Amino acid sequence: MKRKQIYIFIFSLSTISFIVGQEIQNEEIDSLDIIDSLDTKEKFINIDKLSIGVDLYKPIYSSTNNDDLSYELITSLRIFKDFSIAAEIGSLDKYIEDENVNFTSTGEYIKFGFDYNLFNNWSGMDNSIYLGMRFATSSFNNKIENYIVRNPDSYWSNNILTDFETINHSNQNANWVEFLVGIKVETIKNIYFGISLRLNRLISNSSPNNFTNLYIPGFNKVTDDNSWGSGFNYTLTYSIPLKKRK
Amino acid sequence: MFIRSYKFFLLFFLITSCEKDDICLQGSANTNRITIEFINSEFETTSSLSLNNIRGINKDSIIYEDINTDKLRLPLNTSSNRTDYILNYNEIDDTLSIKYKAIHQYLNRGCGFISNFIIDNNTESLDNSKGWIKKISIVKDSIFNEEKTNLYIHF
Repeated sequence: MKRKQIYIFIFSLSTISFIVGQEIQNEEIDSLDIIDSLDTKEKFINIDKLSIGVDLYKPIYSSTNNDDLSYELITSLRIFKDFSIAAEIGSLDKYIEDENVNFTSTGEYIKFGFDYNLFNNWSGMDNSIYLGMRFATSSFNNKIENYIVRNPDSYWSNNILTDFETINHSNQNANWVEFLVGIKVETIKNIYFGISLRLNRLISNSSPNNFTNLYIPGFNKVTDDNSWGSGFNYTLTYSIPLKKRK
Repeated sequence: MFIRSYKFFLLFFLITSCEKDDICLQGSANTNRITIEFINSEFETTSSLSLNNIRGINKDSIIYEDINTDKLRLPLNTSSNRTDYILNYNEIDDTLSIKYKAIHQYLNRGCGFISNFIIDNNTESLDNSKGWIKKISIVKDSIFNEEKTNLYIHF
């Protein structure tokens, strides 16, 4: 647990310092390249960059928690100057200790949508602060490992362990929409680090018999009477320039 | 631009940190105990009874040391299909073996599961010849509340 937090901390620090570093650099280049930045003539559709990457957080989390390897692959294709279509595909295995029920959530998800960049780069730079939206679907299992029966009387143990009654709720599915904000910083040529924060709005969630899906891979924690959720990812992406950069 | 984007992040953490906690409200359904009444076989009427040292089999602790009641309520083991209690009446031990099906019902995240029970017909007293229990009759086999009597013990 501690190790995980340290990873996150170091990563946050380094990402932020990259950005600050870039900002300072921007100011230096600023005075020299004003003319250069004026002569950009953009065509309407301009497919010029394909990015592929991975989420760094999920594999680290799953390996420090003795779950099976979880991962998320990320891809985006820039089709207008500030507009990219984007997708994430992920696979997750997570043991979840909830208030009353401990269960393992496993499944796959696909998210598809777009990113819109708000950041005005100086010439030669390619960082972004972006807003985005995704449509997402997940197919998953929630297997109850053990749980506590709510009982005012504790003369007998109320812990229900694996051998008495555990249920694998398989073939569950859910759909949701994500609204996201993120940053992406080019640290080495064509290599980007980024963070995105996501608010998820649940559209549909299958309801298993005698349980509810308290967790959906990709969507994360589901709360009772509330269809909003949240998520994030730390990304490392490599971009393949499809055209020569101006 | 970069400064402005802080606001987005701030907003995100504001929204996500205000996530509602799922708490189990008071008065939510709960696991109930079995309700037992006693019938005096001489008069065929219900009567109160004074019992000593009620404890579950395989348990070290006593659940009721001295109890004088006309309605005895005993918790059932939720992770088993059988609960045995030793009931001492007038210095005589008898074992009540309650057999049932525990049905665990999911409520919500805050409350988790509760257990309902359906009592089996083969609920019995184990010390037939030397015990004080003459007969057991089931009047209501499902335990969904503690109002209705489930079991009569004839003594």
